[in-house]
Amino acid sequence: MIKFDSVSKVYKGDFPALEDINLEIHEGEFVSVVGQSGSGKSTLLKLIYAEEMATSGEVYFNSSLLNNLSRRKLPYHRRNIGMIFQDFKLLPRKTVFENVAYALEVAGIPDEEIQENVQQILDIVSMGEKMKKYPNQLSGGEQQKVAIARALVHAPMVIIADEPTGNLDPVTSLEIVQLLMRINELGTTVVLASHDKDIVDKVNRRVLVLDNGKIIVDCAKGKYKAS
Amino acid sequence: MFLTIRRTFREAIQNFIRNGWLSIATVSILILSLYVLSVFFVVTSTANSIMKDVQGKVNISIYFKPDVSEQTIAEVKADLEGFNEVQSVRYVSKEQALEDFKKNNASEPIILQSLDEIGGNPLLASLVVKAGDPTRYQAISDHINQAAFFSEISRINYGKNKEIIDRLNSIVATIKKIGTSLGILFAAISLLITFNAVRITIYTHKQEIEIMRLVGASNYFIRMPFIFEGVIYGVMGTVFSMLILFISVRFVTPYVSSAIPSSNLVEFYFNNFGILLGGQAALGVFLGVIGSLIAMRKYLKV
Repeated sequence: MIKFDSVSKVYKGDFPALEDINLEIHEGEFVSVVGQSGSGKSTLLKLIYAEEMATSGEVYFNSSLLNNLSRRKLPYHRRNIGMIFQDFKLLPRKTVFENVAYALEVAGIPDEEIQENVQQILDIVSMGEKMKKYPNQLSGGEQQKVAIARALVHAPMVIIADEPTGNLDPVTSLEIVQLLMRINELGTTVVLASHDKDIVDKVNRRVLVLDNGKIIVDCAKGKYKAS
Repeated sequence: MFLTIRRTFREAIQNFIRNGWLSIATVSILILSLYVLSVFFVVTSTANSIMKDVQGKVNISIYFKPDVSEQTIAEVKADLEGFNEVQSVRYVSKEQALEDFKKNNASEPIILQSLDEIGGNPLLASLVVKAGDPTRYQAISDHINQAAFFSEISRINYGKNKEIIDRLNSIVATIKKIGTSLGILFAAISLLITFNAVRITIYTHKQEIEIMRLVGASNYFIRMPFIFEGVIYGVMGTVFSMLILFISVRFVTPYVSSAIPSSNLVEFYFNNFGILLGGQAALGVFLGVIGSLIAMRKYLKV
């Protein structure tokens, strides 16, 4: 479903963030991308959601080439993906419900459907009670749950999670990862970037280890291995 | 399409309300400029209508020497009527003049008595000339002064209102000048203020706009709320400016009416309600939207 073909990414006037990446991610996989800060994890994810374009090589999503994705088509590409970030990236002026609904509104989903789906997904992440709260009234863990609900609500093909537990305590982190695992069990592909050993070990699925922009380990079922 | 417009419009209303003070400040400035402009509109229109009123009373009377024949006067009349600046020429015969004089002085028996004592008709035949444009009386009088029939004229009486008219003319011209320049100044200020409001909104929303893009919002979906925000500024500005204008007109009318009996500002307000409302709404929305567009062009790179 996602394919990297000899991909390199060089930021302007900088050393290469990614070098010669060859990678294929299939539907239904749960891939943990690990590595130290600056190893290129985030860049790898950004190439998938087309925030960055490859300097050389080709990135495919659903067998369409992302390299020259036009700005006009970018929103449609993004609607295939659900994204979760370390800093939650919730809209501060919108309530929990509005935040989740926004992902459907931009796609032109009818109101009744939005009402129903948002309610349902918030119940799934057990945030149904706090629908009318604003993000700053929630704890970090709760905010991340709302972000997960938003990432899920439009039934994306892939969930991309960039250090989703980076700002959370171990117990909450575990809760979040279990949520991701459940989502994966239901058939959604998950790509998780993390440098948290406990988390990756808990998932115990395919692990990619990045070091200095290169994949040094790719094992089908494994634990976090520091380079 | 309709769904998107409805959603982005709702988004704009939400922004407007949740931005609180910034929205109030922006709308206030817009109200001020629209108000100033419409006050000048009311003042100039009133002054113009007073001018017209007074101008109708201005004329030049040409009195002919007693021995000039009606034939000659008719020729002069025809000559004046051929002159471009002249709107109308009315002939007042000796007999007519006498009758008018008697009528005007009916309550003054002494005057009538002395008239009888003189015997005959001491009054002169005259032509009453009205100009189409009151600023052109000078041209008409120049024409008469150089005409061949000048020697037949006993005297020329310029309307007593001429001086008032000249003064009014210059006052109206000054009001127009001040009004226009103040209007332009305030329009420019509101444009800048709207621009700034949207710029600040974009700036504070920078992260939010980034998030919107990550969630898959199209450029259109991100931009429309800002344009609608400009529209809301314009509409709110117009509504409040009309309200304040009405209140001030109501308040001022008694004073103005006592000074200038022929004016009624409240009536004027309602007679011109459509023009006032339409003009302000058009200008307000125009300023709001242009301000938003400039700010977006500069600060919203999507």
